[in-house]
Amino acid sequence: MKARLYKGWMLALVIALVTVVVSACSGNDGNKEEGSASPSATSSASAAESASSESESAYKDKYDPPIEISTVWGVDPALKFKNGETIENNIATKWALDTLGIKINSLWSVTDTNNAFVTKMRLSMSSGQEMPDVVTIGDVQLAQDLIETGMFREVGSLFDQYANDKWKQAMELDPGVWNPYIRNGEKMGIPVLDYAYNHDYLLWIRQDWLDKLNLEGPKTLADLETIMDAFRNQNPDGLAPDKVVPLSIGFKTTMNSWMGDPSWVFGAFGTVPGQWNETPDGSLEWGSVNAGAKQALDTLKQWRDKGYIPAEAALWDENKTAEPAVAGTAGIIPGPYWMSGWPLVDTAKNVPTAVWKPYAIPTGPDGKAGRHGTYFTTAVTLINKDMKKPEALFTYQNYLFDHLADPAIGSEWDLGVFKGYDYDLDASGNPLYLEKIPGGDVNINRYWLVRDGARIPDAQMKSLLALADGKEPETRLEKEVKNNYGTETPAAAKVLLSQPDISFKNKFTGPATATMQSKQDYLKKIELQAFNEIIYGKKGLDEFDKFVASWNSSGGEQMTKEVNEWYATTK
Amino acid sequence: MSHFKRSWPFHLMVLPALVFLVVFNYLPMAGITMAFMDYKPWLGFDGSAWIGLDHFRALFDREDSIQVIWNTLVIAVFKIAFNLIVPFTFAILLNEVRQRFLNRSIQTLVYLPHFLSWVILGGILVNFLSTDGGFVNRILGVVGIGPIFFLGDGDWFRFTVVVSEVWKEFGYSTIVFLAALANINPALYEAAEVDGASRWKQTRHITIPSLIPMAIVVGTLSLGNILNAGFDQIFNLYNSLVYEKGDIIDTFVYRTAIVEGDFGFATAVGLFKSVISMILIIVSYRLAYKLANYRVF
Repeated sequence: MKARLYKGWMLALVIALVTVVVSACSGNDGNKEEGSASPSATSSASAAESASSESESAYKDKYDPPIEISTVWGVDPALKFKNGETIENNIATKWALDTLGIKINSLWSVTDTNNAFVTKMRLSMSSGQEMPDVVTIGDVQLAQDLIETGMFREVGSLFDQYANDKWKQAMELDPGVWNPYIRNGEKMGIPVLDYAYNHDYLLWIRQDWLDKLNLEGPKTLADLETIMDAFRNQNPDGLAPDKVVPLSIGFKTTMNSWMGDPSWVFGAFGTVPGQWNETPDGSLEWGSVNAGAKQALDTLKQWRDKGYIPAEAALWDENKTAEPAVAGTAGIIPGPYWMSGWPLVDTAKNVPTAVWKPYAIPTGPDGKAGRHGTYFTTAVTLINKDMKKPEALFTYQNYLFDHLADPAIGSEWDLGVFKGYDYDLDASGNPLYLEKIPGGDVNINRYWLVRDGARIPDAQMKSLLALADGKEPETRLEKEVKNNYGTETPAAAKVLLSQPDISFKNKFTGPATATMQSKQDYLKKIELQAFNEIIYGKKGLDEFDKFVASWNSSGGEQMTKEVNEWYATTK
Repeated sequence: MSHFKRSWPFHLMVLPALVFLVVFNYLPMAGITMAFMDYKPWLGFDGSAWIGLDHFRALFDREDSIQVIWNTLVIAVFKIAFNLIVPFTFAILLNEVRQRFLNRSIQTLVYLPHFLSWVILGGILVNFLSTDGGFVNRILGVVGIGPIFFLGDGDWFRFTVVVSEVWKEFGYSTIVFLAALANINPALYEAAEVDGASRWKQTRHITIPSLIPMAIVVGTLSLGNILNAGFDQIFNLYNSLVYEKGDIIDTFVYRTAIVEGDFGFATAVGLFKSVISMILIIVSYRLAYKLANYRVF
């Protein structure tokens, strides 16, 4: 017994020793980091000096001798290369060197599966590795964290000084795009613009069913109920009532998503749930606690009781809502304008007679309609504070905004950008696209320094509208949407823009506030729980008022206050 | 000292394992400090601010934290209990199947689900248990039991989670008991037969008593999992309708800490769970020592 006790003490001693050694080691690591930090600090000081000494005419259309911009890449696994090229060395990097005198220097690249790029970026951030001159980040949280590190510089002054008019005009379409990246009044990142309205909703309805039933498209929620009832109880394809999903929606994790959610039902009562909406008095309000939500929940409950929406909608996520739509058993699915291309194009494989047509969002009893809106930006470009010639990024991007974003007919890149890559010419000089290009096409838009090169938010919509009015495709963008998107997409774009004023944008785009960090999850949890229990009839409609009260007392009120304080700083 | 001279090659042999243990199990323990920090990866351990017990306070400040811990306990206790009873019974029953081929086939079949991931099983179960047209509800419909919303009703959700977990894992746990059965001295059975004991009496007086120590060991070891109700299973099956009865510590940490990137909080909850588990293991180890004379050290 005594011997065992002694051994036990020895074991404890060993563990204690090991712990001491461990903590000593980690202490050393910390010192090393501090040591390595100082040289980079001095180099940034010298960079600032050299920048100031040549501040006159720093911006050039072409740099001679060539200069370097370092970057890092998350490569889409589906991205193809040809002629033995890589992301580090390809037709676009060669073009940048030849035309602009800019050498793209890749620090590292990673195939972006399972969020590998974000992980690698996070690791290099936390282990103090060299940060690239220019990096484009799509992940909101990572972007906020990178800005927080202080390794990236203020960019607003650079943008004002160097960006060309075309880029500035594109950015001015929505001045709110800067908001997420403003710190103490300074713009810390350049928003990457994307095509507008990508997530704004409309309704896709089976036109062949409507025609067989002699019904018009819905204008109001009441019309919609008539249609759903007919789809279910007098199904034109002869499906039994319990086999039809008249309206395919789901809300497993949120009532406000990118496909198949019920947010527009709330919109008919003047609010959009799960986001911060601007109220008439100019303050921000969490859409789910607006009084309109109560009526919307009542409507959804009745629809569930009548079998208009899936019995297990609370278990359905976005992709699940597409399943009955593709299988041909759903009559209506809400979603973005591009759904004609995916997933609805596949319905015809299962039901050859199926025809999907886009319809506007129906109005509620008071004539209101609403849907969630889309920001014009999907990512942000950060510039390293040690970058010696930040104006070079603008040389690069200005060229793309001038020549790539919306090229005029007959201009340099009208037919395509790189011959043999995204287009080719046949013997008589006619352009060839996609698989007709010898060796196949590659998506060169992913080769640019900034993802997707340069996009003007309303350019694609304008092209789609032109096509919807029966215009023959002429400009490159028009040809692109004609060739690459589903047949109903132009019509859907027109339907979408017939209701330009009903989109509610989430007006809060800043970093998470203190209360948000500690309370957000709980508040979302009680919200989803209350909403689902009302829709499923487990609790009465009065539960909504209880939910609002406990939402406010459990931190919601404080969060609203903080959000409005942030909002005041953006005006 | 002379003892060491004789045994140093053995010490050398154990060295790589010891180094591995230190590097991969003890060194990372320094990360526990994150539980007491407002940890920011780019600031590192040196730069992040110390915040004392704030993370632990935050854990218990939430209005639903008691509910979440209770859910975890209830689900975990049921899982531990049935994961002991079912394999125990099944091993004894399987032992009675004397036809070797049949015995082996059944063993393999019940063992298979162990290798399926919950991501796949979750998808299968959602369809299988669906209220409109799911297999289980159609069968129940035939015998006149109205559709049961297995995944949308809190109590049924717990039931479903426990039953599906036991179905998935009991084959694997059975192996341990089968091994214990193989270790029973055949002479005992022979003697019993000579004395005229029936099959049932042999089971009651030889098989079950011989298996009890193993059951105690398995039960003791699984007590360490008292706060693990099975993240991947719950995460793939739960939804907002069953938060009240189905939200567990791990899913709650996933939502608050991992999704939002709050590593300090995640570490704090992990540490909390480890401390509770350690206390339970120590207590149950003492009990096992007393009751079954079971010793590891």
